[in-house]
This record gives sequence, C-alpha cells and structure tokens, in this order.
Amino acid sequence: MTISMNLNNVDLSNCDREPIHIPGKVQSHGFLLAVDSESLLITYASENTKDYIAVEAKNLLGKPYDNFEELAGLNIKSGQLLQMIHLGGVKKDFGSINPYPVQIDEADFYMIISASGKSFLIEFEAATLEYDIQNQIGKSVSEILGGKSLKSLLHNTAKEIRDIIHYDRVMIYKFLEDGHGEVIAEVKNDDLEPFYGLHYPASDIPKQARELYKLNYTRIIADVNTESAPILTLEIDEPLDLTHSVLRAVSPIHIQYLKNMGVESSFSISLIAHGELWGLIACHNYSPKFIDYKAREGSALIGKIVSSALEYREDEEHEQQSTSYQLAMSLISLHLTKDEDLVSALTGQEYTIKDIAGASGAAVLYDNEISTIGVTPNQQQLRELFDWLKFTMDDAIYYTHRLPEVFPSAKAYKEVGSGIIAAMVSKDMDEIVVWFRPEQITEIHWAGNPEKPVVLSENGLMNLSPRNSFETFSQQVENTALKWTKTEVSNVMKLREKIINTINKKAGEIRILNERLRRAYEELDTFSYTISHDLRTPLTSIKSYTELVIMSNKSLDEQGKNLLKRVVAGADKMNFLINEILKLARVGRAEVEFAELDMDKIVKDSAAEAIMAMKAQKVSLTFGELPSIMGSPVLISQIFSNLIGNAVKYSLVKEHPAVHIEGVKEEEEVVYKIQDNGIGIDIGHRDKVFELFKRMENVKDIEGTGVGLAIVKRIVEKHNARIWFESELEVGTIFYIAFKI
Amino acid sequence: MPPDIFYVEDDQDFAFIMQYAVKEVSEDLTVSIAEDGNAAIATLQRFAEEKHRPRLILLDLNLPGLSGLDVLKRIKEIPFFKYVPVILFSTSDDINDVRTSLEIGANAFLTKPSGYHNLILCVRSLYDFWFTQNRSIN
Repeated sequence: MTISMNLNNVDLSNCDREPIHIPGKVQSHGFLLAVDSESLLITYASENTKDYIAVEAKNLLGKPYDNFEELAGLNIKSGQLLQMIHLGGVKKDFGSINPYPVQIDEADFYMIISASGKSFLIEFEAATLEYDIQNQIGKSVSEILGGKSLKSLLHNTAKEIRDIIHYDRVMIYKFLEDGHGEVIAEVKNDDLEPFYGLHYPASDIPKQARELYKLNYTRIIADVNTESAPILTLEIDEPLDLTHSVLRAVSPIHIQYLKNMGVESSFSISLIAHGELWGLIACHNYSPKFIDYKAREGSALIGKIVSSALEYREDEEHEQQSTSYQLAMSLISLHLTKDEDLVSALTGQEYTIKDIAGASGAAVLYDNEISTIGVTPNQQQLRELFDWLKFTMDDAIYYTHRLPEVFPSAKAYKEVGSGIIAAMVSKDMDEIVVWFRPEQITEIHWAGNPEKPVVLSENGLMNLSPRNSFETFSQQVENTALKWTKTEVSNVMKLREKIINTINKKAGEIRILNERLRRAYEELDTFSYTISHDLRTPLTSIKSYTELVIMSNKSLDEQGKNLLKRVVAGADKMNFLINEILKLARVGRAEVEFAELDMDKIVKDSAAEAIMAMKAQKVSLTFGELPSIMGSPVLISQIFSNLIGNAVKYSLVKEHPAVHIEGVKEEEEVVYKIQDNGIGIDIGHRDKVFELFKRMENVKDIEGTGVGLAIVKRIVEKHNARIWFESELEVGTIFYIAFKI
Repeated sequence: MPPDIFYVEDDQDFAFIMQYAVKEVSEDLTVSIAEDGNAAIATLQRFAEEKHRPRLILLDLNLPGLSGLDVLKRIKEIPFFKYVPVILFSTSDDINDVRTSLEIGANAFLTKPSGYHNLILCVRSLYDFWFTQNRSIN
C-alpha cells in the first residue's frame, strides 16, 4: 500500500509548533530517496522521480539501493552509488563525499547523502556549475575582512555575496534581543525598494525555523510557484525527518510570506556568533533562481568566515569599549585619591564619570550643589529626579532604560534622559550620582504592521496567509534608551564604592585636622597664659629696679630721672598688654558652667563700673528690658563690661553721649543690644573688628588695645551665642548678641 | 631673733627689691627670705623649736618644688604659727588660686604690686595694719 504522508494541519496560532522538518514533501527541483541503514532497501521516494529518471517512485519502494542504477536506467555500474553510502557510513560523515557527481541523461547531477534517523537521505539535484565559488572565495574573503568596523564588514559581506551568486537583493538581517530582526546591511538592484533599516517582527522567522538555521548553514527556496513533491513510503507512522535535507519543502506559510513580498526564490546563509544565531545573510530573487550545491557550500564557507569575523569584531569592539571604560575608571580613581575636590575629580578631568558607563551626561549632587557634565536635564528637573530617587531607591544602585514609564515627569526630558543609572552615595547627606542616556530609537520602521500579522483573504486561506502587507509601518518607540550593559552597571557600582571610600577618608582627615586644631588651640591658650605670666615677672623687675634707682640714687640728675621714668612707663604699658592677653587666654581655658543670670544686675553693674572708670558721668545711660539668660556669670559680665565700656568710650567725644542697653526675648533666643551714638565703625573694616590687636583708624587717639572685642567674641562663641553689629560713622554703633534660650 | 617678716620668694630680684622696700617703710623692720618651699618649712620648723615667731609670713604662690599652697598647708599644721598671719603674695590673681588659698587658711591674698613704688605702698599698708594697728594680735 502506498501512503502519501499528510501535511499536518497547521494554523497560525500554533505556527511555532508547525513541524516543518517533517513536511512530507520536497521542493521539486530535485528528487529524494531514503534508504534503510540496515536493510539498504529504498524506503521512501519523492513522487517526482519520473521527472528525472526512468522509474516511478512507487516502483522504487522496497527495492535494494544496490539496484538503483539499473532501475533508474543510469549509465553507471550497479552498486557504485551504494558504495558511497558505505564509504560515508563508515566515516559517519558525508562531508567529503557530498556532492557526488552523477550523470542522468547526459545532464550533470549531484547526489547528496545525509543521515536521518535510521535512514540515509539520498537527494539528487542539478549541478549547474554556474558559479565558480572556489576561485572567487579568496578574493571575496579578503574584501570582506578589509572593513575595519563591524558595519563595513557586514556591508562588504552583502556586496561580495551578491557579486558571487547574483541575487536581486542581499541583506544582512540581525536578530535583536526580543527575537525581532533588523536589516543592517543591504546591496540590491537599483530598481528595488530598500529594506535597509526596516524591522521585522519575531514571528516572521519563528523559533523552530531559527533552530534549523543553526543546523543547516544554508537554505535555498528555488521557486515559490512550483508544487512540492510528496514523499511516498510503505512505512506507516514513520514520518521522515528532513532536518538535513537540502530539498526539504518550504512551509506553506513561508511560501505565502515570500509570495506576499513578491519574492520568487530565496537563499539564506546563517551567521552564528558564540553558538547563537546572530543573523542571516538573506538573498532574495524576484524570479525563480537555483544555485547548485557547490555554490551553496561556497556561500556557507563565506558565512562561516564572516561568523567568526563577527565574533572577533564584536569581541574586539566590546574589548575596546571595556578598555576605554577601564581607562576612565582608573583615571577617575586616581583623581579621587589625590584631588582635593571630589566633584572636580568626577566631572572636571579629561575623563569624567560619563565615560565609565557610555552615558551622554551625568549629574552629581554633593554638598547640596548639583554639578553636571555632558547633556543632562536642567537643575530644577534634576532636583525633582533626585527627590524621586531618594524616595524610590531601596538599593544603592537603580537603573532603567525607560525612565519616563516609571517616573512620568521624566517625559519632559526624555530626549536626554530616557535611560538612567543612579548611584546613591549617601541618602542622609543627599549625595547621589546619576548617569543619563537619551531616548534611543524614536521610530521603528516595521516592514508591515507587526501587530496585525494576519490579513484575512477571501479564499479561506486565512491560516496560511501570514502577511500580505509589507508597507512600512512606523511605530513610535518612545521613552526608551539603549539598555545599560552589565559592564556599565558594574562600573557604576565600583565607582560608587570608590566615591564612598574617598568621602570616608576625607571625613577621617577632617576629623583628625579638627582634633589637631582643637589641641593647637588649647596649647596656644596654655602657652599664652604661661608666657604672659612668665613675662610679667622680669617686667616687674625692670620696673622695680628702675624705680629703686630713681628713688635711691642721689647722683641722678633730672634728665636721668626723666629717662628712667620712660623705662617705667614702657614697662607699665607692656604689663597692661600682657594682662589683656591673659584675660583672653583665660576665656579660652575657662570651662563654662551655665547658670541663670540676673542680667539686670550684671548689666547695670558693668555700666556703672564703666562710667566710673572713665569718669564719664556725662553719658546718658538708659536700659530697656533686661531678661535673664543662661551663661557663666564671670564671662558674661566681661562681655558687658567690654561692650558697654566701648560704647561709653567711643561716644564720650560727642556732646550728648547716650548709651542704651536692652534685651528682647524671641522664640529661641534672647537678643541683647548695646547701642551708642558714638564715632561708629567703618563698614570697610567690618571683618576685622573682632580680630586680636586690630584697632580702627578713627580710634587711634582713644586708648585701647584691640583685645576687648576679641575677648567678647571668644566668650560669645563659648556660649554658642552669636554677635554682630550695625554701625555708621559719626552716627553710632549697635552691637547685638543673641543667646540661645 | 626672728625676723618681723618671713618671706618665701624664689625670684631673687623680687626678694632683693623687697628688702629695700621694707627698709624704706621702716628702718627697724626686718625681713628674712626663704628661696623655696622646703627651705621655708625647714626654717620655720627651726623657728618653732627655738620659739621664734615671725610677725608676718608672705608666701609666693609659684614656687619651684613645693608650691605656695603646699607650704601654706604645712604652716597651718604647725600649732606654734597658728596666730601668725599668712598672706599669699602672687602675680596671679586667678580666682581658683585665691579661693583655694583662703580655704586652706590664708589670711589674705595680695596681688604682687608692679614696681618699687607700688611695693613700698603695699608693704607700708601691711606694716600699718599688722604691726601698728593690730599689735594686740601678736
């Protein structure tokens, strides 16, 4: 009984499961036999044998292959073709035998043998000897590999392939991450519409078809308009596996697909990189076209060479990229360790942080200042983004290539920041670094609307009609940037660690400096105290001896006495200065013991003392509220003695000198003010007023040392209070001191 | 004979000037000087044994070795000197020093005057108060 193998029922919904390797048919530009590997009987034969040889397919079934030559009426000694099967069977490889030339009716044919389960497939197809691949391949390969970049490598490949096998269109088709493909190189007849840059949905080349491309490096579809020849067999339920068949019939879906495109024959060469189908060299012809086995093998060889070149070039470009990342990383690290300024180490050098992650811009928030490099959103937008990140981020690193989808405000700057990587340096301190990438593809040109792959046709062939529109369908792909690679993300993580280390180190250094400064201050206080103290003793001796001489030496004349009196005056002056320094040093040494102070008494006593000391009864003294504060009684008295003393001293030259003191209780502070109508302070010297030994130009005729206000300032600092003043020359001065409540 | 004033002072200049000042105040007034705390204690113990009692002890605060306050403590431990006025005599007018010395039993704390004139004024005042007006104490 002869049974025609049935085409499995296929519809588009299970298109991925269509068993295209066992179609039960072969393309009719050749014929196929299958021989059982043990019995060596012919078990399968394509129905079209009669088109090529003198015997009906059904009459071959069950016959020994040994007799094939005779049955087929070939002018070859019987058993010779079987010998080839034996030869390859022993080696388990038919690569060296294929293609085996056979003459059928004066015409040249190739016999091509392959294994299929427990059978051998034996296929016969024309040997046209049309394309002399062997001679051209050397030149072509050197042309192809001449391109320095991946892009030129691919363009050269398309061009050379077209030059060798003359298809109307040769494209390089690359599979992208989600399985959809893009035409990234194309060489074609001038009259054809370019497909370059078009994207094809993943469903155009279903998964199992892609698996077959990995097993068979070439695939020819000679003529979409010929009927495929069914395979006849006596075996029931044993569909023949045609995976390695060169004649394997084409899925009707794919035939329809090609027809819809207007393509009448096609040829493809697989490009494999790192064991995965990287893409295809797809050749289209707009009329039937057949290239023979040797031409196809030659093309496959070019495909293999290009594949390995691809692998190498991709690795190389990847390598170059990572080398430049590494260079940027190490230079930035260097600056981080040796530069004073963290932000300038990150953004101000030849290599900046944007170079470690292939970003087009980056922003650093540090010390509440935003610094940017390259193209970034504006300051306002950055602030908002940082706030959002602070709120959102749970981990140290966050990245997305579709920011506007998760953070809608980012739509406003999707052109510069659709992709971000954020590294939180410190949430508490508001320290964050963010890298930006622009919206990458604003438009994908699909070859036909990918959302509607099926268009109903009236003849009921719906399930076999994949797409009949290849009109370019432009889809806006918005809010999406190029994905961040693992290397880029890990670089950001590494850099974050380095920044944190740098900050910690700097913080440590500052702590040490602070401690040193504090100790230096203490030592200075002790030093000034000791030295002033020790200076006083010899000074006293100078004065005492001088006075002793003046008093007891009778031989001294008046002039001698006067000169010696100058010595005494000098010693007095120096003694006074030393006492002032001692007072200042004592403030530094004093531990403040806070107590609630009766300010009414302290202020009024200080004022009375100042009036007394300067014999300044003509000064009109007035007081407002004098609320109590917390502080050291001795030190606070010193403040008011000094400030009221100054107010009195510097207003005394006026006709109606007036000094007013009051304290105002505010929310968190008591602010005291000491106001006079004296000579005033030149605002130009504002900063120097509290400096030690600094006296203003307009007081040089008035006695003073320039220590008083320095003491006041130190006491104020000891109390964590603030002091400032307002003044106008010849109008008066107001000093304010704000004590914390 | 014990001196009228027993003065503990390590600064030779000050001691020298003091001797002049004392003579300036009264030719009869005598002063004896100890240069450090240990010497002062030794001399005073000898005085106590010999029942010699100075009328006034002046004590510098900053002394090498035994400090003025230490010396003060030791003096106050000797019953024989219980009623001898001890006056701290120092360039420092540090509040803490003043308080401590008074706590230990000093009878007064005087800041060393600067200069010969002031010293004479100071010694004269001491003399008038402790030697003339309060003769009964001794």
